[in-house]
Order: sequence, then C-alpha cells, then structure tokens
Amino acid sequence: MEQTTLVGSVDPEILDAVGKRADEIAQGARINGKLAALLALGSIPIALGAISKDVYGQTPSDVLDVLQFALLLEHLEADFYTRGVAATGMIPAGVQTVFTTIRNHENEHVTALQSIISAKGATPVARPAFDFTAKGNLAGFTFGASQYLTFLALAQAFEDTGVRAYKGQAGRLINDKAVLNAALAIHSVEARHASQIRRLRGGKGWISGNSRGDLPAFTQGVYDGEDVVLQAGITITSLPDAGSNGGVTGATEAWDEPLTKAQVTAIVTPFLP
Amino acid sequence: MSDTPKMIISDSGMLNSPRNRRDILKLMAAGGAMVFLPSMLTACSEEDDSGGLTNPGSGTTVTIDFAKGDIAVLQFAYALEQLEADFYTRVVNAFGSSNLSTTERAVLTDIKYHEVLHREFFKAVLGSTNGFTLTTTYPNINFNDRLSVLNTAKLLEDTGVKAYNGAAQYITDVNNLLAAGKIVSVEARHAAAIADLLSPNTNAFAPTTFDDVTRPATIAAAAQGFVVQKLALANGPASFVQGPNNNG
Repeated sequence: MEQTTLVGSVDPEILDAVGKRADEIAQGARINGKLAALLALGSIPIALGAISKDVYGQTPSDVLDVLQFALLLEHLEADFYTRGVAATGMIPAGVQTVFTTIRNHENEHVTALQSIISAKGATPVARPAFDFTAKGNLAGFTFGASQYLTFLALAQAFEDTGVRAYKGQAGRLINDKAVLNAALAIHSVEARHASQIRRLRGGKGWISGNSRGDLPAFTQGVYDGEDVVLQAGITITSLPDAGSNGGVTGATEAWDEPLTKAQVTAIVTPFLP
Repeated sequence: MSDTPKMIISDSGMLNSPRNRRDILKLMAAGGAMVFLPSMLTACSEEDDSGGLTNPGSGTTVTIDFAKGDIAVLQFAYALEQLEADFYTRVVNAFGSSNLSTTERAVLTDIKYHEVLHREFFKAVLGSTNGFTLTTTYPNINFNDRLSVLNTAKLLEDTGVKAYNGAAQYITDVNNLLAAGKIVSVEARHAAAIADLLSPNTNAFAPTTFDDVTRPATIAAAAQGFVVQKLALANGPASFVQGPNNNG
C-alpha cells in the first residue's frame, strides 16, 4: 500500500473525484479541488489505497513500474541491435538499412523512456549486462560473421515479445494519457519491426496460431496464447464469412495478444545476468 | 398500402447509398414502394462494385457521437475497418486483371482476411443499435495497377495505426483499450509489410521512431475521401493529448 506517500501516489483524476465529493460536503464553501481532496483524505486515509487500486485500477506507481519494465525491454533490444550492427560481416549488405533503422529506434525508445521516468522523479533502470546466449540456449552465439540467422531468429523473438509486452501493460496507463500515447506510439513501431524481421526470415509479418515457426523451443513462451479466437466475448471463427477469410489461421493472425508482466519476465530472464 | 412504408428517393445522397442494383432491389423489398429519379439506374450497374460513380461525402450523414463514450471509439474503429475490408476485397476481386506479383497477392489476401474479420468483429460488438454500414468509394484508384493498390493500402494502414493510437486516449474501459491494442499492432504489421513491398529493405517499413498519434477529427477528414456518406463526429472531445511526435 502507498499510505506513506499517499498524496503523491494518488492520480490527479482521483483527487478530482474526491475533491468533488468534498465540495458537495462543504456545500458551497470555496475550497479548491486539491485542498478539498486533502481534507477528504484526512477522513478516509485507509480506504484510499484500496480505492485507487481496486476502483480506478491504475496509480502513478503503476505507471512508473510499467515505464521501468518497458525500459528494461528497450535496453535489451537496443543493446542487441547495437551489437548486431557493429558486428563485422554478420548482417548482409542488402539489409543493413533495416537494422540500422531498428537499432536507432530502440536507442531512441530508451532515451525517451529514460526522460519520462526522470521527469516523474524516479531513476531509470540501468542497462544490465545481457547474456545473448540465453544461458547457453544459444551456446556460442557471439554476433559472429556466420551467425546472421541466429541473430535474425532472436530479433523476431524480441520484437514479437515487445509488441505483446506493451499491449499487456497499456491498461495500467489508462489514466496517464501522455505516457499511454508514448507507449502506444512505441508499441506499433515494435509491431512494424516484428513484421519486417519475420518477412526477412521468409515468414508472414503476422503471427499464425501460437507457432514459433523454426525458433528454438526455449522461445515458445513468446507465442503461447497467440492462438485464441475469442475476442471480447465474440468467437471470431463463428462470424459470418470467417470460413472464407482464413478460418482459424486468419482469426489468430488478425489479433495480437498481450503477455502479462510475469510472462514477459519469464521470456526475458534467460537474457539477464 | 397504408401499412407499407413508402420510400422516396428525394436527394442525390440517398441515391448514392446503395452500392449496386442488387442493393437497390433489397431496399425496394424492404421499403415496399420506391419512387425513382431518372438518373438512378444509370448511377449504378449490376457489376459496379467500384463505387466510382459516387462522390465522397455526398451521401446521408453518419454521425459518431462521442457522448456515447467507448462506443463511439468502437464505432470510429468500425468505420475504418469497413473502409479497409472493402478496399482489400476489391483488390482481391481484381486479381484476375491486376499486375500484382504472386508474393504481393499472398500478402494482400491475408490482409483482406484480417480486415474482413475486424469489420465483422466490430459489427458483432456494436450490434444493430450502434452499428452502421458505410458505402465506400475509390474514384481515383486503379485496382488493376500494382502501385495504385499498394500506395492506397499503405495510406489506409498508416491511417489505421495513427487513428487507433489517437483514439485510445478516449477509451475509459481497460478491456476496450486492450481490444483496440490487439488490432492496432496487426495494422502496424500490415503497414510495414505493404511499405516494404513498395520500397524493399529501406527504412520504409518503420519510417519514424514513434508512430503518429492522431486526433479522430483529422482521421475522419482523411477517411471521408473514401466514404460516400458524410462522416460526422458529434460531441468530439475538446481535449487531445499529443503523442511523442506532437503532430496529431
């Protein structure tokens, strides 16, 4: 609970809501919203943590948690592509632009998230020393000149994970529109990257079922749950014309699915020191 | 006769709504009686699925009322998905006479599937109370021409991405936010694939560090170019929080 830093952790919209109630109680007393909120807080301090979590669902501490989590993932991608682009002879000449583009984006995502986190008064999480052999799952992977296909496979796993990770956290940002916008603007760029990488590997730009394709088995968590066909209570495969529009495959491709923070953490853990 | 509604086509906008003769016959069946203006049957033909003889914005008004909250955002998405689904359906239907490559046809066929499913999803979500059917028109597009098709596809996909990104801030229910998020990333995957078909292995697939976040009114104005009905937004939110590109 956030009792010790209660006011600082309460969302402005909650303050407004509480303020309105206090205003009604004050019956015309000229109090500004924030003061009214403080007064109201004095009367219901224990309950507020519960209100902000359970009723409103999202608090500024949620937002910071999401930002730090996103930053960790962006660090992973930025470091990965920075090393890849720097590696001598690994990336074929014809696709250098693709990877320098992605590298630049990921580095700029890192910078942007760091700025937002700092602006909110927190210290951005530092870049860990990543292990791109994934604890030996990719033993011998060193961004070597002959290892482009491994690099490409990892890139797909990272991008598809990134898309699902942002999607899974968006709800926690619903009360902070500026951060929500930033996350969404990154989320769709990650999806563009994913599409490009998948197509460079000879696949489709979108995810069919829960298939990891030819990626190594330890990456299956990236695709688990991508095979659902139930969306907002509607079974897509039962819709009119579903049969003539790709059937189950089309229905799973047409929607990307979220991952929880725990699921993403499990995927990323092998790459952490 | 007094129980039978009488349908009078009294203005050109109403003429523009039915897409083809079959639709008009359906309308007649529903309406029971119909008064035709002389130009009506020349304005559409049995085979005319291009909508090319109707002008964008010349039809009846379809209003998306933001006083409805999240429903309005879903309606807004539904409008865009109708546009995309109709477009790709026409693209696929024209494969027999177009110069698209085999690879391009495979990509466009997949996208057509996805967009039709998105459209049918929103139709089911919104139901008859909040749903509406738009008539699309593509007067300046040559469905036989690869560049015309791919450039339009790119425009539609990029518009879709920035539209979803820009409308998300008006969603109040996290479940609806997630529903939109599940679709927007697929639109972004489409956008990248189409862009790369046009300009392979350049930065075209993801030209900016952040995608745009664009307000609904701007999107509606852009979409209007492909819609016969007049698209109107009512009670549009006065406030708009800009995205990282600060251009919405």
